[in-house]
Amino acid sequence: MTDRAENSLLILPGLLLLVLAFFVPIAQMLMLSVSGENGLTLAHFTRFLSDPYYLNVLWRTVRLSAIITLICALIGFPMAYIMAHVSPKLRLWLVIMVILPLMTSVVVRTFGWMVLLSRSGLVPEVLRDLGLVGRNFSLMQTETAIVIGMVQVLLPFMTLSILGVITRIDSRLEEAARTMGCSFLKTLRTVVLPLSVPGIVAGSLLVFTLSASSFVTPNLLGGARIQVLAASIYRSVTQTLDWPFAAAQAVILFLGIIVLLMPYARLSGRSNG
Amino acid sequence: MAEVRLNAIKKSFGPVEVLHGISIDIASGEFVSLLGSSGCGKTTLLRIVAGLESVTSGTVEIGGRDVTDLPPEKRDIAMMFQSYALLPHLSVAENVRFPLRMRRIGTLDEQRDKVRDALETVQLGHLADRRPNQLSGGQQQRVALARAIVSRPQILLLDEPLSNLDARLREDMQVELIEIHKRLGLTTLFVTHDQEEALSLSDRIILLNKGKIEQEGAPREIYAQPATGYASSFLGAANLVSANITEEAGGPVATLADGQTLPVGKDETRRGPAVVALRQEDVAIKPKGEGVIEGKVRTRVYLGARNRYVIQIGKEEIRVLAPHDLDFERGETVGLAIDPARLRVLSEGE
Repeated sequence: MTDRAENSLLILPGLLLLVLAFFVPIAQMLMLSVSGENGLTLAHFTRFLSDPYYLNVLWRTVRLSAIITLICALIGFPMAYIMAHVSPKLRLWLVIMVILPLMTSVVVRTFGWMVLLSRSGLVPEVLRDLGLVGRNFSLMQTETAIVIGMVQVLLPFMTLSILGVITRIDSRLEEAARTMGCSFLKTLRTVVLPLSVPGIVAGSLLVFTLSASSFVTPNLLGGARIQVLAASIYRSVTQTLDWPFAAAQAVILFLGIIVLLMPYARLSGRSNG
Repeated sequence: MAEVRLNAIKKSFGPVEVLHGISIDIASGEFVSLLGSSGCGKTTLLRIVAGLESVTSGTVEIGGRDVTDLPPEKRDIAMMFQSYALLPHLSVAENVRFPLRMRRIGTLDEQRDKVRDALETVQLGHLADRRPNQLSGGQQQRVALARAIVSRPQILLLDEPLSNLDARLREDMQVELIEIHKRLGLTTLFVTHDQEEALSLSDRIILLNKGKIEQEGAPREIYAQPATGYASSFLGAANLVSANITEEAGGPVATLADGQTLPVGKDETRRGPAVVALRQEDVAIKPKGEGVIEGKVRTRVYLGARNRYVIQIGKEEIRVLAPHDLDFERGETVGLAIDPARLRVLSEGE
């Protein structure tokens, strides 16, 4: 048996698993999304794309995911920079602190936010006491609540992605930049930031995909009025039992994410080369 | 161009003091080497001048201005790192333009001209559009040099810039550094552990040992008259042999541990227990009976142009460099001729 044949044979079990666990369900979803009562149909897609309600849900999903990604990057980059420059012991504690939200159950965490953000919760009460907001102010069932809750969960993905890249930047480069006339902040902008791009791209891909497809947190913090696509899919499956329509929405989410992420992936490919 | 004045610099890392009050004056346009083994504090001192390290006490003045508390970007310096520290995301030309861009020196066109000049100076004009990772070590090193001189800083700081190059390239770069220094006249502070580099490049050498200045002076002076055992073992890899100096009829004489005697220079005034420093190249090996003292060949190392012999005298061993056409076998007893003028007597414990 040649080496090549042997290799192909060895790769077979993995390939089989991948096909069964990954491609079959996606193929099934694709099939389901175009199946109607009398054969193939695009009716589910036209229904989605012609209904302003669903278009609004789609737009909200994309918009919120983008905002969440941006905020994660804005917090994650300085955080990763600090983590990369403290002592290894302190770094370990910071890493634990950052990934702590991932270790608690999504339901517990989200109920925690509900306690904090509801009308009688800590955050609105403090804001009220400071006279910054009106008497009926509540953060629950707002997009702000969704963003806050999601940023907390997804921040570790961004921070750790950037941390991995920043720790590999030679500290001499920053020192060299300082001797060439850069202030600390200018060094961050002209040296550290450009060299962190691969990490920021990888983190953004993770955060965007995860937030676009997340369902529990937006549903609990945003309530029934503020629907995101994943929650809408869930409702189609469990409440209206319209599986083909749910599949169509899933395909749209899937394609939407791919289209949005394509240029991003190319960006990271270029900065690696 | 400017003079540098370091005033009683002390530096501690935690409880460990690594620099014990160092004062150095560097004249405008002077090329000064900080020479010492690793851990002697030479790089720390350079980083203090650059502003990358703070002082525990003492002051740093550049061009008459006290810069002790200024961050690196506010000192008009350029530094060349051992690892070159080229920015990997910028092209060669952008790397060289970086200090001009950050310090806002000149218009874009002027900057381009300066970059081209600097790259021509190091003979790399044709590689301007490459990325640093597409260059060889020697080329990267030239880019780093171009980047350091492009803004004509008041002070040029070089942190072992030649130590990552192979021997041949290093010699080329030494010549180039001398020429560039002559042409631009930049005040230069050069850190190295390589005595040959320090001797060939500098106007003045400052020998550091354990955070203190051991000796300073012009290369010729410091090589010919090392003041201490450390200085003589560092410069020219001298042998240190303990001896007792006594006055005899014909002048002072050093008696070695095994009883052999060796005349020393007539004007040597030290008496009693001392250390004699013998440079490897100043001891000549002769057939048995022809030298002033005798020893036994322990090892011979073939170095191409020369042979290095390890000679045992009593319980002590000395190293001797001999021309390659001299051939002595292991175990052979040989005579050693030593010119009294080339031998230095140092007091014990230095």
